[in-house]
Amino acid sequence: MFLQRRVRFAYVLILPSLLMITLLSVVPIVEGVIVSVQNQNMLRGNPTAFVGLTHYLRALTDEPLFWPSLAKTLYWTAGSVAGAYLVALGLALLLNMEIWGRGLFRALFLIPWVIPDVCTALLWKWAYGDEFGVINFLLAKFGLIGSPITWLSNPNIAMPAVIVVQIWKLYPVMFITLLAALQNVPKELFEAATIDGANMGQRFRYVTFPAIRSTSIIITLLASIWTFQAFDIVYLLTGGGPAGATKILPTLVYDKAFWGSEMGYAAAIAMLMLVCLLVISVAYLLVYRSQAEAA
Amino acid sequence: MTGGIGINRRQTLALAMGGLFALTCDEEASAQGTTTLTFWTVRLNTPELSAALKQILADFEKENPGIKIKHEPVSGNLVYPKFMAAMRGQTMPDVAEAYSYHPLQFAAADQMEPMDDIIAEWDKNGYLADIFSEFAYKKFFWKGNYWGVPYNLDIRPIYYRKDLLDAKGIKPPRTWDEFQAAAIALNDPANGVFGVVYPAGDFHIAQHFYMSFMFQAGGSILDKDGNLVFGTTAKDANVKALTFLTDLATKYKVTPPGIASYNTDDPHTLYVQGRAAFGFGTGEVISRLMKENPALFDKTGILEVLEGPAGPSGKLSAAFYNPMFVWKYSPAKEQAKTFIRWFVQPGRLERLYLAAPGRHWPIFKRDINTDRVKNNRLLSEALEKVVPYSTDFAYPGFGRPEMGVIDGEKMFAGPVNQVVVGAKTPEKAVLDAHEAMKKVFSS
Repeated sequence: MFLQRRVRFAYVLILPSLLMITLLSVVPIVEGVIVSVQNQNMLRGNPTAFVGLTHYLRALTDEPLFWPSLAKTLYWTAGSVAGAYLVALGLALLLNMEIWGRGLFRALFLIPWVIPDVCTALLWKWAYGDEFGVINFLLAKFGLIGSPITWLSNPNIAMPAVIVVQIWKLYPVMFITLLAALQNVPKELFEAATIDGANMGQRFRYVTFPAIRSTSIIITLLASIWTFQAFDIVYLLTGGGPAGATKILPTLVYDKAFWGSEMGYAAAIAMLMLVCLLVISVAYLLVYRSQAEAA
Repeated sequence: MTGGIGINRRQTLALAMGGLFALTCDEEASAQGTTTLTFWTVRLNTPELSAALKQILADFEKENPGIKIKHEPVSGNLVYPKFMAAMRGQTMPDVAEAYSYHPLQFAAADQMEPMDDIIAEWDKNGYLADIFSEFAYKKFFWKGNYWGVPYNLDIRPIYYRKDLLDAKGIKPPRTWDEFQAAAIALNDPANGVFGVVYPAGDFHIAQHFYMSFMFQAGGSILDKDGNLVFGTTAKDANVKALTFLTDLATKYKVTPPGIASYNTDDPHTLYVQGRAAFGFGTGEVISRLMKENPALFDKTGILEVLEGPAGPSGKLSAAFYNPMFVWKYSPAKEQAKTFIRWFVQPGRLERLYLAAPGRHWPIFKRDINTDRVKNNRLLSEALEKVVPYSTDFAYPGFGRPEMGVIDGEKMFAGPVNQVVVGAKTPEKAVLDAHEAMKKVFSS
């Protein structure tokens, strides 16, 4: 009876959060599913007409941009998360050491995180400019290039260029999380490993990395989810170009929904994105669990 | 009893009901006295334009004491999400000004109030005959009704450096061939000056300039009956226009190397910095020159609309007659129309035109012959050489809601971008774009 009352009390305590999550997450998803099986084409009448899986079939079989955009989204996500993780890990390892100005650097490295995405995009668009961009200016000044690199207008370079921007945007949150995880690793472990003759690489491989693995898994999973659905940086930097080289799924959904007036079709693509994210997340966690069990 | 406060539940309920009643009464009383119209603006939101608009709205309220205007600026990037959300939630503004094809798209979604009565009045009082191009209002005609009325004009001129042309003894070009030859002759990247700069990024602005060349080659997107002809009967002309435009970058290399990422501001900035002999831009370049580089203002001219393969009949320039429209389910439709009738009149928006010279143009011919234009050489040149030849997307037909999608999804900016980066040939780009457009018409 006591336990039941405690459980009831616990439910009362989490009720406000549950209601908020339902309102902010569950309701929009359900609404999205409903819209995705309706006509919802602003150019045609009867918007709420039920069309079943028509939009899903069209996206999967008749949309020339869907599969290329999915491939680019995966590229964009993997490149951004991997790059941001490596930068964040490197910085976290460095600033976990007793070095001068550590506190100042920790604060400075967080700056990209607090800059709004729109400002980030404009800042980098300026930096990447072929005629007045600071990157080309510096490269030319140091004699590294003879003519400006067209960062955002060369289909082969544009995606790596926007990935760099996303890495810049993403690494601070990963950095601060990894730094927190590193600070929880007992110093005695390093001392023991050193006494046993482990070098720096071995200490990282057998002591540091296992200790931060679960944090790494969680933060890279979260970063993957954020990046998979990130929209503004790519849209503002390239608009999806050049020649569709940076056309990721969120920009496709935006174009179809708001410029193409096809809310139902766009909702179907968004739902397919959600399925992709779920598949990636589940696969990721399964791999993590099997590795954890093996360890 | 509720401990400490001293009122019970019934009293609380009575108080709440009383409060609600009082609020309702207040609202009704206000509704009987004054109507408040929500007015969304998309293109009048810069600080200087907003300030000018505020004064215009104050004048309206003074002359129409029964109507108040609640002005709400809408960001250009968020215009579609905002309107879509408003439509779904049935919280559309009573009256709005926005992009070219909004009224037709919203009409297709059964959200627009026909504006035929205002068009009929304009026909009687001579306003229609006074508008520069009949396509200014014809583009809002669909399924037997006009769904919007034009209120301003947004032009797409080509600016040129008089001093550079003079130095080489070149006359301002009037034809495609002359333009190409001049751009090649004036290209001098070693000294920081490109022959020509235009936007070829995957952004809406890229298609505006392509459209001008399309018309000049005798092409179009729709025919006069509103049928899609982009990749069929108009294909050859449209390919010719695309080839001419993109050759400047790919074959003659007289543009900056990065134009495939350029949006509206990039060519403006390069031209205003003195980095191009010819610059494609909006009317905003005029105010930027005045503000940022007055010395270059004096060295700048505006080209007469070029004559292409279609000859004099195709001497046209893409432009946008931007609309105002009224929400069908507004409780104050008549007051909204009263506002539009007052707002769109010769002389009424002079403050806007003064606030940002060149960015907005009046739609009425009689509004042009003002000191503001006479005293500004570039405005006069644009008036003489560009405005009379400005026509809109729907040319040579009437509007269709599908054009909003074709424009919105940048279906003819894509070809410019694809050809400039070498991803497609002009013919393939036009045919692929046509297939995409066909799907919009048949979806």
